[in-house]
Amino acid sequence: MRRATPARISATLRLTLGCGMALSLLSPAAYGADIEYGRYLSSECTTCHGASQADSTIPNIHGLDQAHIAEVIKAYRTKALPNPVMQNVAGRLGDEEIAALAAYFATAKRPK
Amino acid sequence: MTNITRRHFGIMAGASLSTLGLSMLSTPALAQGKPRVVIIGGGPGGATAARYIAKESNGTIDVTLIEPLKTFTTCFFSNLYVGGFRDYKSLTHNYDKVRKGGVKVVHALAASIDRDKKQVVLAGGGKVPYDRLLVAPGIDIKFDSVPGYSEQAAEVMPHAWKPGAQTQLLVKKLNALKDGDQIVMIAPPNPYRCPPGPYERVSMFAHVLKKKGFKKSRIVILDPKPAFSKQAVFSEGWEKYYPGMIEWQDPKIHGGIKGVDAKTGEVKTDFTNYKPGLVNVIPAQMAGKIARDAGLANQSGFCPIDAASMKSTVDPNIFVVGDASIAGEMPKSAFSANSQAKVAAMVIRAELTKSRAFPARYSNTCWSLIAPDVDVKVGASYEPVDGVIKAANSFVSQRNESADLRKQNYKESVDWYKGITADIFG
Repeated sequence: MRRATPARISATLRLTLGCGMALSLLSPAAYGADIEYGRYLSSECTTCHGASQADSTIPNIHGLDQAHIAEVIKAYRTKALPNPVMQNVAGRLGDEEIAALAAYFATAKRPK
Repeated sequence: MTNITRRHFGIMAGASLSTLGLSMLSTPALAQGKPRVVIIGGGPGGATAARYIAKESNGTIDVTLIEPLKTFTTCFFSNLYVGGFRDYKSLTHNYDKVRKGGVKVVHALAASIDRDKKQVVLAGGGKVPYDRLLVAPGIDIKFDSVPGYSEQAAEVMPHAWKPGAQTQLLVKKLNALKDGDQIVMIAPPNPYRCPPGPYERVSMFAHVLKKKGFKKSRIVILDPKPAFSKQAVFSEGWEKYYPGMIEWQDPKIHGGIKGVDAKTGEVKTDFTNYKPGLVNVIPAQMAGKIARDAGLANQSGFCPIDAASMKSTVDPNIFVVGDASIAGEMPKSAFSANSQAKVAAMVIRAELTKSRAFPARYSNTCWSLIAPDVDVKVGASYEPVDGVIKAANSFVSQRNESADLRKQNYKESVDWYKGITADIFG
C-alpha cells in the first residue's frame, strides 16, 4: 500500500482542483471558515512551526495553499500520515476547526 | 433544542466575558484608556503570555513583564548541555524581541502582590498597578523535603532543577569525576517540573561517562516513586546503551531515603550508605514564593486554577500559568506553560477588550534524549472536563522502535526548541 505523504496528497489535490466545481467548493465562503477562530487555534501550531527553516523536520505552514493544509491535517487525523505529535493535534480537530486553521494559515505570514 | 456550534459558543462566551471584564475594570483604568496587564516571570509561561497579549491586542492593552534577569537560560534542553550536546549559550535568550513586540520589560524583582490595591510591589519599592495580573514564577525547591539538604548543601550537591549557576555546577562536578566514581541522584516526588527530566539527565550522565571510556563508574537513582515517565523506553535504552551502568531503585528497593550530609558527601537510605563522587539531589517542589505569599497556592504548595481559563480560583483578577499552577493532568513543562499562557492571554484579552473568547485547548509534548540520536517522546492534547484539565488523547514512544525513528525524534526535538523559544522570546 502506498503511504500518503504531504507531497502525494498535494498532487492528488491539484488533480482534484482541476475541476472548477471542486475549486468553488473549497473556497472560504463555501467552508464558512472562521479565520479569527483559526488564528486562535493556530497558536497551538506556532509552538513548533513558528521558526521553521528550510531543512527543518517541522515545516513552515504559513502562507500555504488552503486546501493543501486542510488535506494534510485530515490525513494526520486519519493517521494516513505518520508522526504521533501531529496525529494527536489533528485527532481532536473537527472539520470546522480544520477549515478555520487552513483559512488562517493560507493568509498568515511567518512570524518574524 | 438549539444547536450551539463552537463558533456561536465563542461569540457568546466572548460577549459574556467582555461584559464581566468591563464590569470588573476599575474606573481609573478605563479613564486612563488602556487596560493594564502585568506579568510576573519572564519564562515560557510569562513571556509567551506577554507577547501574545501585546501582539493580539494591537496596542489596545498595556502589557508589562516583570523579570529580574536580563537573560533567561532555559531549563528545558539543559540536559543536552549536561550531555555535551549543546553549549550553555545556546540555551540563553534575551528580551529584545519581547520588547520590540510592544511589551514593557521591567528588569526588577517582584517582591509582593497587593491584591486589594491590584498592584505589584517591586523589591525597590516601586508599584505597578494592574487590571489583570498573570503570575508565572515557576517553581521553588523544597530543600527540607530531603533531610540534611539545604540551599547551602546545594552548592556541594547541586539540584540543577532551576536554570543557571546550578546547572553549570552540576556539569563542572560531572566533568571532574574519575573512573570508578559513583553518581547518586535523588529523584523528586510528584508533582515536579519536567517528569522525564531526571531520567533524561541520568542518560546524559551515562553518556558522558561512557564517552570518557569509564568502565567502573555506576549511577544509582534513589526514587521516592514506584514508577516514572517513559519508564519502558528509558529502561530499554539504559540496557542497550549503558549496560550495567544505571541502577534505578524504587522505595521497595532502597527502603526509604534517610537523607544527605553535604559535609561528608554521604547519602543514606534505609539499607545503604553511599559516598559518591557526585550527588544530584532533586527535592520536592512548590510554586514560586511570590505566588505562595500572595495566597494563590493551596496546601499542596501549587496554585489552583479554573481549567477553562487558567484564572486563579482565589482571585478573579489573577491568572497563574506554568509550573506554579495545578493544571490537572498536564505535566509541568515549558510546552505546557507556553500552551496555558495562550489560553490565559486569549481570556484576558476577552475580558479587557471586546475580543472573542474561544474554548480552552491545551497541548504538550516532551522529548527526551537517551543516547546520541536516540530520542523518545510523550505527548497529549488536553481540554477542560468537569473543571479539570484532562487528556483528550495521548501517545508515548514504544520499545523496539527503529533507529531512524529515534533519530528523527531527536531532529524534531532540536527543531521544536527553535520553534518554542521563538514563540516565547520572539
